[in-house]
Amino acid sequence: MTSSPDYYALLGISRSGSEEDIHLAFRALTKRLHPDVNKNLGAATQFREINAAHDLLSNFSERQRYNAGYKPDNASLLNVRVTTSQRTLPLLDELQVLYMLVEITADPALIVGTTEARLNLTLVLDLSKSMKEHRLERLKAATNSIIDQLDKDDILSIITFSDDAEVLLRAEPLRDKPAAKGKIALMQPIGGTEMFKGLSKGFVENQRLASKKYVNHIVLVTDGRTWQDEPQCLDLAERAHKEGIGISAMGMGDEWNDTFLDQLASRTGGTSEYINTSGAVVRFMNERVRSLGQSYAERLTLSVAPDPDVRLELAYRLHPTAQPVMLDQDPIPLGSLQVRGSVSVLLQFQLNAQTRLGVRPVARLDVTGDVLREQRMGYKVIADMSVDVAEGVEPAETPLLLMDALSKFSLYRLQQRAEQAVNAGESAQATRHLETLATRFLQAGHTDLASKASEEAQRVRETSHFSAEGQKALKFGTRALGTQEARPQTAKPLALPPPSASTPATGTPAATRREPPKGLP
Amino acid sequence: MKICPNCETPNREGTLLCEECGQPLTGVPSTATTILHGTDTLGQKPSVKTWGTDHFALGAALVIRIRETNESLTLQVGANAQLIIGRIDPNTGAKPEIDLHRFFAQEKGVSRVHAALRRVNENLTLTDLGSINGTHLNGQKLAANQARTIHDGDEVRIGKLVVHVYFK
Repeated sequence: MTSSPDYYALLGISRSGSEEDIHLAFRALTKRLHPDVNKNLGAATQFREINAAHDLLSNFSERQRYNAGYKPDNASLLNVRVTTSQRTLPLLDELQVLYMLVEITADPALIVGTTEARLNLTLVLDLSKSMKEHRLERLKAATNSIIDQLDKDDILSIITFSDDAEVLLRAEPLRDKPAAKGKIALMQPIGGTEMFKGLSKGFVENQRLASKKYVNHIVLVTDGRTWQDEPQCLDLAERAHKEGIGISAMGMGDEWNDTFLDQLASRTGGTSEYINTSGAVVRFMNERVRSLGQSYAERLTLSVAPDPDVRLELAYRLHPTAQPVMLDQDPIPLGSLQVRGSVSVLLQFQLNAQTRLGVRPVARLDVTGDVLREQRMGYKVIADMSVDVAEGVEPAETPLLLMDALSKFSLYRLQQRAEQAVNAGESAQATRHLETLATRFLQAGHTDLASKASEEAQRVRETSHFSAEGQKALKFGTRALGTQEARPQTAKPLALPPPSASTPATGTPAATRREPPKGLP
Repeated sequence: MKICPNCETPNREGTLLCEECGQPLTGVPSTATTILHGTDTLGQKPSVKTWGTDHFALGAALVIRIRETNESLTLQVGANAQLIIGRIDPNTGAKPEIDLHRFFAQEKGVSRVHAALRRVNENLTLTDLGSINGTHLNGQKLAANQARTIHDGDEVRIGKLVVHVYFK
């Protein structure tokens, strides 16, 4: 098991590179990413690593020792494909926007057999009084079916919380399933929703047996709002992320705070989901646990270091589940990559006015993850993205893949705008956004969502408020579009432009750099 | 910049779906001024100065002839008049007094507000208004916002568009 990063890949030089190569590569990167010239968050993160790589490799004896202990990977363990909205930009005296779709997949050659990843799972269950009998019964059933689904070697712990939190099942390999089920049967609803108490106990339990070799994950199921401890919960999520523990949040019913659960999950690369009927909780939880068991790589992160004259404006994860990404964090947690799945993120950059023709570097992307199947921790792929700047550029056809991703994000953004307008008390604006949203849904053939949007538009016009159910149904329905259809194999354009028979302009951009050739003496 | 045909929101170049309403912007014309690279090394030799008169009488008309196509515009320049040379702004529809749009101004790198002609008593001056691709008078580049007197028969290059001015 290797865990040291590939320092050569970080500097973009080959293993046989001379001392001068190392210095030149470092100098070139310094010009782009040094905190003195580049104020972007991701640049600071990446520069630290580059600096460490340079320090080590420019020290002869340390380099020798590093080379001796380094075991080359026998294949590229993660495939990273980046599609840009344009490969050639016109020379313009104004701001320009560039999009990138980053897709991470497992190397198909490495996926043989069906060995499942070992789970270290913690369930944190809300037992407040609002969990009425019906919901509680379904929750019990869901928990029991998870116990059935888990392997004897998987680790399970269960925390219940209301006014206080209690460890129902301590973290240990699940050898005695009937005993665990017996404890589930005793769950009773009491008191309020003190989420932080539940989460922090869950964190402690999960951490006890957590290992980089496992999928460490906390699944939180709640139906209400927590009081005043949301910031503490978010801090905890950040700590969990640092410890390699993911958090997924599931909200039952309509009363919970979706914005908060989004933030909680996003901070660890997990997912947050809306369970509209209590019956669906069994399916949702089972699917979540199954997908965790199918993990190929865990703790995937994406660091984005735009060049000094470029700014990252937004990031939106489309796959495996659509989730907004907070930009106050770099690297961005992306959670886990399933064996046959993909993780994809849409990025939007703003570029300052161009002054020179030729190659213009845009950003350096760093994808890092623990590839469980190969027992390879801290595996890295660096992609240096750049575009050409030329005179008189003909507008090129946008890659369909990217257009499709952007269409989905655009729907989500409209829905978010409507929410913001409602919260700001601007119901006329909100109504307008919702009506536009309804039109866009219709154009894309999502009639259910279209009628939901018009319904809510009507309601907002009359009452200035969403219905709690409608707001969540719209938000999570819009997101689910990304999840269902964004798979690269089946990508179809949503609306415009019309599909054409010409070659899709995707493919790995020429500037994408994989790890340098290995095995050189 | 691209103006959304649905909601008229201005979107930055390269935006694919309107940031306000999600309308696809493919095929929407850009309002940007094309930057021409190396305008100074186009191989066009400055023509010999004609040493025409700089006296522009009060009733005189100004003729602007496009060198490439030999088309011409005739203008009256009244007392204290200021005429902007440029091309129509597709965002706002604002039109300069001397609109060179139909002479392929955009392709030739003419800014929307490129230069100004002013009458100063019985003279005419030309001022570059900080255009992207610059203004040349008889092969010499004008510093932005500095007026120069023009003479009958002078050659003026606006971006890449070459015109001759005649007093009549």
